[in-house]
Amino acid sequence: MEMRGADVTSIRDFGRGDLEEIFAATDRITDMEPGRRRQLCAGKSLGYLFFEPSTRTRLSFEAAMASVGGTSFGISDKESSSAQKGESLADVVRMMSIYSDAMVLRHSLDGSSRFAAQVSDKPVINGGSGTEEHPTQAIQDLYTMRKVCGKIDGLTIGIVGDLKYGRTVYSLLHGLGNYDVNVYLVSPESLRIRADSVYDIKKKTEYVESDNLNECIDALDVVYVTRVQRERFPDVEEYLKVRGSYVIGADMLKKMKEKAVVMHPLPRVDEIAPEVDSTPAARYFEQARYGMDTRAALLALILGDGDL
Amino acid sequence: MDESELTVRRIREGTVIDHIDEGRGLQVLAALSINGSDGGVVTIALNVPSAKHNKKDIIKVENILLRDDDTNKLAVIAPRATVNIIRDYKLVEKHRVSLPNSIGRIFMCTNPDCVTNSGEPIESMMDVVDKTGRVLKCRYCGRILDITKLRYM
Repeated sequence: MEMRGADVTSIRDFGRGDLEEIFAATDRITDMEPGRRRQLCAGKSLGYLFFEPSTRTRLSFEAAMASVGGTSFGISDKESSSAQKGESLADVVRMMSIYSDAMVLRHSLDGSSRFAAQVSDKPVINGGSGTEEHPTQAIQDLYTMRKVCGKIDGLTIGIVGDLKYGRTVYSLLHGLGNYDVNVYLVSPESLRIRADSVYDIKKKTEYVESDNLNECIDALDVVYVTRVQRERFPDVEEYLKVRGSYVIGADMLKKMKEKAVVMHPLPRVDEIAPEVDSTPAARYFEQARYGMDTRAALLALILGDGDL
Repeated sequence: MDESELTVRRIREGTVIDHIDEGRGLQVLAALSINGSDGGVVTIALNVPSAKHNKKDIIKVENILLRDDDTNKLAVIAPRATVNIIRDYKLVEKHRVSLPNSIGRIFMCTNPDCVTNSGEPIESMMDVVDKTGRVLKCRYCGRILDITKLRYM
């Protein structure tokens, strides 16, 4: 796909070649002399429209834009926007497309970014849409796997936790569909991947579903952990029963392959014990770092003059 | 005339929808908003013996010609249906329904959290990703439509 001026609404729009182009650009931008890097988007602006809370995504976009010489501004919660007065998303997006050269949108509705891209004259980047997608997180996750494992093809990846409502999971699975990987989906039965969202995933990726992490932990190269959220369970007892099954601690690390890594889109609550943080397996903070680099590369590809 | 035969008055102008999948005739009527309020004759026959498919439903409706949207609805609800156009008591056109590559406007996405159900100025758009299996996918949220729970715009 032509990256310059492109919308990033779904990872489904990215083929393997597109992803590899972003990864290569990320490698180049990471090694680039800071002064040159700041020329990539000099004079460009990124508007952010965050109608849902965010820490990493918004900050990493701001940091990424600053690192390539651009500026960013916007709204970081619904309450401070005119959406609170009943203004439509369409109108807010149209306004932002007047003020900025590109925008990042986070919204609670599935498909909100695709709709925004339709009404905006400027590129729209999906910063998280409902429980549907979080494509830049998937780009960051795939890049992290490539960096820390040396490759993506051939990996056995376990995605653990809330697979039903976690938007990062769907984007990651669609992204992994471009590679030759083995996937285990580990979750309580009530939080399994949604049946109405797996049609495209099943066509590209074979996966095994399980509710017991112990069944596959010793086969995994990547343990991708997501939060199991208490509010997803109708009763607390059910939550307490399953919560411990999906916690990565020292005992679980012992069952993992020597070179296996633990990833997490963050924020975590208690699904990865702090004792894991200082082990070589812990790669989630490095993953967050790559979030800034991959987003900087993406912004430079979309907004830059092609000199990357 | 054999008294066991059903007799239905011929129509001068209108449409006969034949070979509707057994049991879906009433759903077709509702989907096409055919309720007889225009005063035209509407005849529906359910569970009619069929040489091809064991049983079928048939709808005969006077003075109404189906629009493209109606045909698309029909193709989703009753994929084996045939549409017969009657003019001056004669059959002038007969065709099987078929699914287009995408269907705009007429079906609401079954995902309540889809942006197309939010009141934003947007029309639904379903991509037909499998014509044989009647698999429709919302172009916005990416979810597969549950065709047993169709709702119309």
